[in-house]
Amino acid sequence: MVMIIGVIILIVVNIIGLSVSNRRYLSHYGPGRIAIYLIAPFQEVASRSIRFARDVWSHYFFLVKVAKENDNYKKALSPAIEKNTKYKELKLSNVRLRSLLKFQKAITNRALAAEVIGKDPSPWFKTIIIDKGKDDGVEKGMAVVIPEGIAGQVIEVSSDYSKVLLIIDYNSSVDALVQRNRARGIIKGGSEDRCLFKYVLRKHDITIGDTVVSSGLDGVFPKGLIVGHVSDVVRPNSGIFQEVSVTPYVDFEKLEEVLVLLSSKKHEFENKQ
Amino acid sequence: MTFCFHFCICLCLVIFQTTVMPYFPLFDRFYDLLAPFVIYLSLFHSVRDSIPVILFFGFVMDSLSGGPFGLYLTTYVWLFVGVRWIITFLHVGDSFLLPFVVAAGVLMQNCIFIGTVAMLEPGSRFSSATINTVGVQVFWAIFTGPIFLMFFNYFHGRWNRWLKKVFVKKS
Repeated sequence: MVMIIGVIILIVVNIIGLSVSNRRYLSHYGPGRIAIYLIAPFQEVASRSIRFARDVWSHYFFLVKVAKENDNYKKALSPAIEKNTKYKELKLSNVRLRSLLKFQKAITNRALAAEVIGKDPSPWFKTIIIDKGKDDGVEKGMAVVIPEGIAGQVIEVSSDYSKVLLIIDYNSSVDALVQRNRARGIIKGGSEDRCLFKYVLRKHDITIGDTVVSSGLDGVFPKGLIVGHVSDVVRPNSGIFQEVSVTPYVDFEKLEEVLVLLSSKKHEFENKQ
Repeated sequence: MTFCFHFCICLCLVIFQTTVMPYFPLFDRFYDLLAPFVIYLSLFHSVRDSIPVILFFGFVMDSLSGGPFGLYLTTYVWLFVGVRWIITFLHVGDSFLLPFVVAAGVLMQNCIFIGTVAMLEPGSRFSSATINTVGVQVFWAIFTGPIFLMFFNYFHGRWNRWLKKVFVKKS
């Protein structure tokens, strides 16, 4: 009997503890920063090693294999093919980085490019670790974007690394509007890498394919950044809101480089000083 | 020295899980690799050896994850307590039962996660994908969980033998 009461008390204490800690994003100095500080360097090394190995594999060994086959037919051409493929890869990475740079110029805020070095260990929560932190000017609450659209926001910062909450996480919220008719709502994380566009009034005519952009009213994401497109609309018979699903343009599975939007006002002020 | 072994294994598992596995779409819905390690600790090690490792890596996982702080810690502690309780009346060291113990552990972890999300976000919608994810994780756990347990046990044995050799040489 005593054991059962003890277990029940433990469960209750546990639930209360989790409820309290769920609000931790409000605090500025979470204990998690220490663990990120300890683990992130290992993640960075592992991440870079994998990328290096993958690059070597796909751009060298693959190439050697192809070159060997070609050697049998056109020995003279093999060095050219080798170079050609190398250039192709360079071109691809060039295009990718140029698009990032072009986007960086297009946005009004100062942006900092960062590399993704780790992902959330659980499939239920969606966060990533990036290789830029407080020393690079990153602060908690800063928006993280890529040319395809909004990726998330910084929720924890250590000296060299930061944790980013993706917009597909259930804890995430983005104030957004439909580009066509300016219907406003809140983008919340949903299941299957989708988002829910909540609190959209029933009176608004929303159709599948409509583009959703940030409204800028949440004070985190600048106005006009693309979030995704409407993929499903359910208009219940009762209630004042409609249920809208949004598929983000960002492919969160292939997120490798991101831009952190530095707080423009603060940096302008620092520049003036 | 056992602590060092546990810390090294856990560190490798955390790095592997957060950095290497995301590159392989096959492991998209793989279970938490520390769950079989916690089960391994509760089956083959004393409370004194296990608790510091569980607390430390619970804290680490909570820091790396986007969930409420303490969720992994909670899961690992309850998983440890649960398995310790089971072994008082069931001989789970038997290799036949190992797959089911790991699968039950992974299921329990997912239940705590889903329960927490549902409790803290009452409006959350759980689709068939949620059940699918849990099913896939349990499936993976049944087939790969015992391999992990045997791997941990084997390497711990080798580590002990290596340590003995080193100390005998020194003395």
